[in-house]
Amino acid sequence: MPRPTLLAWLATLLVLTGGCTRGEESSGFRVALLSPGPISDAGWNAAAYEGLLAIAAELDAGTSQVETRTPPEFEEAFRDYARRGFALVIGHGFEFQDAAAAVAPDFPTTVFLTTSGNTVRPNVAPIVFRLEEATFVLGDLAARMAPDGKICAVGGMEIPSVRSTFLAFEAGARYGRPDYPVTISYIGSWDDIGSARTAALALIDNGCRFVLHNADAAGPGVFQAAAQRDVYAFGSNRAQHEVNPRAVLASAVIDIPRAFVDVATQVKQGTFRSRVIERTMADGSISVVYNPLLTHVIPDEIRAAVDATEQAVRTRVITVPTAEF
Amino acid sequence: MNLAPNVLRLLAIAVAFGVSILVLIAAGSDPIVALGALVGGALGDRYALADTALKTCPLLFTGLAVAIAFRAGVWNIGAEGQLLVGALAATAIGSAAGALPAPLPAICALGSGVLAGAAWGGLAALLRVTRNVSEIIGTIMLNFIAIRLVGWAVHGPMMEQAARYPQSDLLPASALLPTLVDRVHAGTLLALLAALAIWIVLFRTTVGFRWRAVGANPRAAAVQGFDPNRALVSVMLTSGALAGAAGAIEVLGVTGRLYGQFSAGHGYTAIAVALLARLHPGGVVLAAILFGALAAGAGAMQRVAGVSAVFVSVVQAVTVFSVLALEAVRPRRGAHHRGGADGGGESP
Repeated sequence: MPRPTLLAWLATLLVLTGGCTRGEESSGFRVALLSPGPISDAGWNAAAYEGLLAIAAELDAGTSQVETRTPPEFEEAFRDYARRGFALVIGHGFEFQDAAAAVAPDFPTTVFLTTSGNTVRPNVAPIVFRLEEATFVLGDLAARMAPDGKICAVGGMEIPSVRSTFLAFEAGARYGRPDYPVTISYIGSWDDIGSARTAALALIDNGCRFVLHNADAAGPGVFQAAAQRDVYAFGSNRAQHEVNPRAVLASAVIDIPRAFVDVATQVKQGTFRSRVIERTMADGSISVVYNPLLTHVIPDEIRAAVDATEQAVRTRVITVPTAEF
Repeated sequence: MNLAPNVLRLLAIAVAFGVSILVLIAAGSDPIVALGALVGGALGDRYALADTALKTCPLLFTGLAVAIAFRAGVWNIGAEGQLLVGALAATAIGSAAGALPAPLPAICALGSGVLAGAAWGGLAALLRVTRNVSEIIGTIMLNFIAIRLVGWAVHGPMMEQAARYPQSDLLPASALLPTLVDRVHAGTLLALLAALAIWIVLFRTTVGFRWRAVGANPRAAAVQGFDPNRALVSVMLTSGALAGAAGAIEVLGVTGRLYGQFSAGHGYTAIAVALLARLHPGGVVLAAILFGALAAGAGAMQRVAGVSAVFVSVVQAVTVFSVLALEAVRPRRGAHHRGGADGGGESP
């Protein structure tokens, strides 16, 4: 067996070059995004990336994005950005709270924003999107269009923010008929399209007529299943009818870019104060977006009734239930 | 002297970096900025070095696990699963034993992780010895079972008390490993000690000699009166124990808790580490540092230069391919095999 001395040489070489290549980028207002999945998911992460681009364009900010999947990576990325002087670091999901709270005391001049959550510190704040308001409306729509059928939902992982959207979907379906059957299934992954398709096919074959997904990058699997069985699906987080124009009847949409730009503006101007930042249908951050190619599928009287429900939700005449966070 | 193989290996790494630079250019990024960020993120300052050390630790343990198994001719592809059950056991015992006086919870948790990993490896050996199930199939299947086991645990009995998210509660501080400097925990020292211990076992003890003899030529070893099944069981128990230690130390030193998708594929990267090290414990230390540095630099490359972290997987893959390819063109001499069985005089 050979001696590994040349590997040692290589390591030394790396150390030497490492010492002189650590350049610092320009200062100024900078914002970073930690996404839990690929920004090509046409959903949750893509919307956040759009938000980051909007911040760069509207606030003349330097931006950076990194995909992080495990808690040690969250903390490492938070720390690195804060150390390099980023003014705002966004952890895009409920799961970023612990890491943000752990890192924040060491970097008091950086604001750590998590999308969803309940952890508030002097420089840690969650932004809570009431997507439940939109899934409630979709539940009402589905139950009205399939009065004798069933509806179902496919989730990525069973976390509070997802559970909550399904709770509201169920409540929406039961708004008209209290015993309306709703089935919920979780696939345990945010990017396994095959699992999502299989789960949706099983639900549809069991009588399900409308499928809502909240599974990020795995969502297209639900659309494929719906198209294959000739039923309709609902998108989430973004207007997803472009992903599958044939299957997606409507989507529960969050205007993540608007909310990100608002928070970043406050941080830049120094007016930001830490709190739970709630975004709702009333302020235009949450909406139901219909597929323009499939509007003819929805009978006028049902559309009118659903629009009335939406208006009632927006004006808080109806209180949409949410899961315990 | 064995200069030629080392020159070839260095050449392989150079080829890998050359190909990587071409990939970077093809992807439209500035290779100087990107590689600068990669190297800076791995070795640029004390935080980067700490990060590299943290990422090296699990690769070192699992790399050793794979290396000794392969040495004995046992294809343990199951370091991933053994790591996961090690992490699972360490989490369970660490939280249960949290009330004991100071060093005991951490020791119990680490010990349970080692035992669980050994048991998981032993299971594959048992299937092979009693049912003649190929250890390749056995260990791969046990990986899947371990992944699902962890998934079930964090969604079920071990889910955090507040029941918000599929992860265990944070372990009590008494169960965590002490940190040495910055975020570097005592487990990294254990990893280096483990490498030394494995070198001693392999090249200075009868057990290690039997493993190498069985691995080099099972028939000749059998003629010498070495029972290949005994070697198989003992090497799988040791291999599993090392991988289990990797998982336990990740929980007790880095994450403090268990969650789904815990491993990030350390058990598979370990195979590349072991192969690059040509199954030598000293080489495993260096190869693990190289891969740990690449992993640490990957994050920085994405954060600073905006290059996808997937790119680092390309570098790793090309490195392993080049090493294996150049290994194949190297003229095989008799010395190579003899070296496999009695390379006793080496220093790491």
